[in-house]
Amino acid sequence: MSGLLNWILWLPVIGMIAILFVPKDKKDLIRTFGVVTTSITFLLTLVLYAKFNTSIGGMQPEFLIKVPWIEQFNIFYSLGVDGISLPMVVLTGLLFLICTVSSWSVDKQVKSYYVLLLMLQSSVFGVFFALDFFLFYVYWEVMLLPMFFLIGIWGGENREYAAIKFFLYTFFGSIIMLVGIIALYYATGKGVDSFNILALQGGHFTKEVVTLFGTEFSFEKLFFWAMFLGFAIKVPVFPFHTWLPHAHVQAPTAVSVILAGVLLKMGTYGFLRIAFPIFPMASVEYSTVIAVLGCISVLYGAFCAMAQSDVKKLVAYSSVSHMGFVMMGMAAMTVQGMNGAVLQMFNHGTSTAMMFLMIGVIYERSHHRWIVKPDGSKGYGGLYSHMPKYSIIFIIGMFASLGLPGLSGFISEALIFLGIFNRFTTITVFAVLGLLLGAAYLLWMFKRMFFGEASAEVKSYPDMSIREVGYMIPLCVAVIVFGIYPSPILNVMKASVAQLLDLLGKFS
Amino acid sequence: MEYTITSIAPIFLFPFTAFVLNAFFGRKLPREGDWLSVGAIFMSFVWACRIFSDFIFGKFSTDYYVHKVFNWIDLSFGEQIFKIDLGIYIDNMTAIMLLMVTGAATLIHLFSTWYMKGDEGGYGRFFIYLSLFTSAMLGLVLADNLLLLFIFWEIMGFCSYSLIGYYNKKERAGYASIKAFMTTRVGDVFLLLGILAIWSVVGNVNYVDIYSAISQGLFEGKVVLGISLATFAAFCVFMGTIGKSAQFPLQVWLPDAMMGPTPCSALIHAATMVAAGVYLSLRMYPLMQLGDITHFIAYIGAITAFGAATIALVQTDLKAVLAFSTISQLGYMVIGIGVGSYNAAFMHLITHAVFKACLFLSAGSVIHAVHTQEMPQMGGLRKKLPITFMCMMLCTLAIAGIPFFSGFVSKDRILGDALYWGLFSGQSKVHFLVPFLGFAGAFLTAFYMFRMMFLTFFGTPRDQHVYDHCHKETFSFNRNLPLIILATFTLGIFFSGSLTGQGIAKVFPKGGQEWFKILVEAPQVKKFESYTKEGFGFSDTRAEKSWEKAHYHHQSGYAGINPENEEGIHHAHVEGAIASIIIAFSGVFLAFLLYIRRTISPDKFVNPLRCWYEALRRKYYFDELYIDIFIKKVLLKFNEFLAFVDMGIYDRFAIDGWEKVNRVLFKASKWFDDVVVDSIAVDGTGTSINIFNLILRIVQSGKIQLYFFILLFVLAGYVWTLDIA
Repeated sequence: MSGLLNWILWLPVIGMIAILFVPKDKKDLIRTFGVVTTSITFLLTLVLYAKFNTSIGGMQPEFLIKVPWIEQFNIFYSLGVDGISLPMVVLTGLLFLICTVSSWSVDKQVKSYYVLLLMLQSSVFGVFFALDFFLFYVYWEVMLLPMFFLIGIWGGENREYAAIKFFLYTFFGSIIMLVGIIALYYATGKGVDSFNILALQGGHFTKEVVTLFGTEFSFEKLFFWAMFLGFAIKVPVFPFHTWLPHAHVQAPTAVSVILAGVLLKMGTYGFLRIAFPIFPMASVEYSTVIAVLGCISVLYGAFCAMAQSDVKKLVAYSSVSHMGFVMMGMAAMTVQGMNGAVLQMFNHGTSTAMMFLMIGVIYERSHHRWIVKPDGSKGYGGLYSHMPKYSIIFIIGMFASLGLPGLSGFISEALIFLGIFNRFTTITVFAVLGLLLGAAYLLWMFKRMFFGEASAEVKSYPDMSIREVGYMIPLCVAVIVFGIYPSPILNVMKASVAQLLDLLGKFS
Repeated sequence: MEYTITSIAPIFLFPFTAFVLNAFFGRKLPREGDWLSVGAIFMSFVWACRIFSDFIFGKFSTDYYVHKVFNWIDLSFGEQIFKIDLGIYIDNMTAIMLLMVTGAATLIHLFSTWYMKGDEGGYGRFFIYLSLFTSAMLGLVLADNLLLLFIFWEIMGFCSYSLIGYYNKKERAGYASIKAFMTTRVGDVFLLLGILAIWSVVGNVNYVDIYSAISQGLFEGKVVLGISLATFAAFCVFMGTIGKSAQFPLQVWLPDAMMGPTPCSALIHAATMVAAGVYLSLRMYPLMQLGDITHFIAYIGAITAFGAATIALVQTDLKAVLAFSTISQLGYMVIGIGVGSYNAAFMHLITHAVFKACLFLSAGSVIHAVHTQEMPQMGGLRKKLPITFMCMMLCTLAIAGIPFFSGFVSKDRILGDALYWGLFSGQSKVHFLVPFLGFAGAFLTAFYMFRMMFLTFFGTPRDQHVYDHCHKETFSFNRNLPLIILATFTLGIFFSGSLTGQGIAKVFPKGGQEWFKILVEAPQVKKFESYTKEGFGFSDTRAEKSWEKAHYHHQSGYAGINPENEEGIHHAHVEGAIASIIIAFSGVFLAFLLYIRRTISPDKFVNPLRCWYEALRRKYYFDELYIDIFIKKVLLKFNEFLAFVDMGIYDRFAIDGWEKVNRVLFKASKWFDDVVVDSIAVDGTGTSINIFNLILRIVQSGKIQLYFFILLFVLAGYVWTLDIA
């Protein structure tokens, strides 16, 4: 079983190479290859889930892989999985499968599209598996490349601006992170473990001091902020969020789904895997800042979302809002909060993927995304009576997104609030407003798009096809099942989360 | 019957299963699966009857309760402990609620098969939501803790939202549904905060643990945001009630909720969901006392009861009158909670559910027959709709507070307690305002309800066309049976035997003629003091406990007021009853003068008070205040401003501005390169400058990857030189 992670990581690459040999006018064959590859990958992630030992905190010894890579610098090809990364891995497998199916309707340069998509999947898995800091960074950067082209080639009318902005912004963050990685390399004396994420963990740098511009800084605090910046841009936390609306609006549907569903989680995952355990003292000390920024993101994202007339931009801002909850949950550093945060990462992945896919479905029919057109007329209206299947699935996704109990968003948000109330009462009082605003912008959007008489244009849209319903069903099931019974996810994560909390507890 | 989770769960699972089956297969089933929904809720009713008979007639002592839990979420690992347990809690109050909810829901389901018949494309959808709603309401009643209650509470909100927006081709339905959901969600957010606050003290939110924590004094000395935690929690929980039970100042959603089909108004917006808010406050009554907000509650109730009654005076829409009367009656229940009249408040919840459900169904029967909701187009309908008329009349007598009817029994007891609380309990006489508003509201209630009856059923038809097109009512099973059964239970003898002698007393061995008074009492937290937490498992250990029935005493819930003054209470009740009767009859008489005899024209009142009339027509301008001013002028403008700042200023200048800065820098360095370096160090360092120029050209041509590699090397070099101690 020890090769399972390798298989999951490299299978998309194999599929990608296979597609490279297919002539580019055999579009259906290319698409089939893509779907088959992601299906097998998803099955393998489920195998990983099934084999996962829930009673062990931290990395699962059964799956560890460690091979020397660049020996002069003590860089290893080192992979592992624990309870925090496993939900993300399964989510990645699921969303990429759904995206390859939903991208069946993409007709422009199909071959390059699927090649890039599979390359993206591999690098995302790489980020979640990597236990070597250098390897982590490589995957973190490699992932930008397919994203850049996917947005820049298959995107909307303003795609180049959005692609460059996305690239520069995240690259800026990762450069700062790289500084931190290099600093850690030197701080550990360039030894065998200087890139080993697991060995770096545990608060070894609390007493280190670094001199910069003639002033002494605490090593831990300084480089916590370096990591913070790198990850916060990815999440994105206010005030580093402005790349997100551009990227989402311009990206093709599947890329939006991946972006919101998986890539944003890499930011919060970075906090949990790297920033918190390597710099626990600074994390505890600055948790208030994280919570406040999270709370601001929740409210700011919600307020901005309410003013949008482009439905995709609205959902993009709602992602800012929902990821703010994850930040708050992490900052709480309590069992409920931290587990809630990881669960929210998963749940936001499924619910926001639903929202973006549903927007993609209607976009393919109408070729616009206006709730209210710039000239003030209604963009849609009457979808409810005209497209019943579409409406029902949309309602499920929307209510999961606004945190209706019984659907997945609620339980993670409730856990987060239970986690932070004791520690940050004032912040909680403000953040619950996010629930109110979240309902407001989503329902108002729904009202404007779905109620009323259908116009002649809307009446020409066909309801969802079997393929479209088919790829929505797994997400509907996930949203409902984990809303009622979240334990299948919570059980795998709780041991690893407890281990992280034990570590943080020593410094609070 | 054995009380375990598995034996109780069916009461919730029947309608829930009907919901699931209808949601998936409803379209393929005959009659779109309505029989499944009706059958399921009837099965729940049978189950509820068994529980009711066990608790009310059966072997248990009166303060027996069943509490069973199972583990839902367990995050414990090593030293990190966190669990969420869910479960069921059944006592007399639950048993009565279950019977009321399942009974009313069964009849309303049955009525819906008549009312909704022939509704194109929506018949099945209606029953899907109705089943989901009913299961959520039953779940809420069975829930043993606030979190589970909150879950069902929100699911009911969702069903309410969906059913109000049922006629989705109407724009107004869209507005009404969003308004209902958002307004109640304001309360829900507070309720969630309340739950968090309680959790932070008790470590749990089940009723038993909360009572136990209160009696053990765990709340004492806890402060949150500068105020006592108990007050904060009580206030937040009560805000939940304000939202759900449409109390001032969140009453605005309920009138718009009438956009939904009438049976859903009867079930959700009259009998069950809006009453759930009151039910919550009743369950959390010890917390309300501890948090010392009972005066606040009493005033909210009084303002709502009176204010809504005044608005109802001028409504011409049949359902609007009923909507405002619902708000007003819920206000009486809230007064009851505030003045410590726990038992009467709950009694009014039940009696109101019965007569208001019947009123709405009757209104549905009328509307379906005449195809209009406007009373000015009705008139004289009693000849055309005799059965509906009779049923509606009985309910109107009940709500107006005419003796021998259920509404009199319960409302009079609330008012009597309020009178005692306001005048004789030794506190400041200023609080007489609460019973005063209550009595004034009672007068208005009698008046506007009879105004409604007179305008609808009496006199001559005002719109002959409408009248002629109204079919003569003949008895039909699913239309009239629910009305007749509900109307029967508006008789007071079912709730209190005190007006009819001993006849009914023998039926209820425990408590005799005043069975309701005796079986339902405010939670006595003292009883829970000795209770200590035990281990949880799937089958709970502290399942069934019962205490020796406490000596029956007049309900002693008066917060901070001496409960021993029985004579004073009795005195207040006698005076209150006399006042109620006089007030009710004078209200009816005034309506009679205005709308039957027409000796006084209503215009005589309206004309001199034009501005007041207008204010009432516009519901005291709350919609204008909230929507036109707060939402449109403040919130949306703020959002637009923020979105503009975000994209138009922050992103454009603070983020994209860096590009401009870079360009200026590159231009400057290029100028330096061209002018300074080239002209001064003419040919000397030609080669190196060429390389530098090449780099600059690459950078300026937009190849950002290269740019970043350069940056990367610079930064790496810089870090290299860092002094790492």
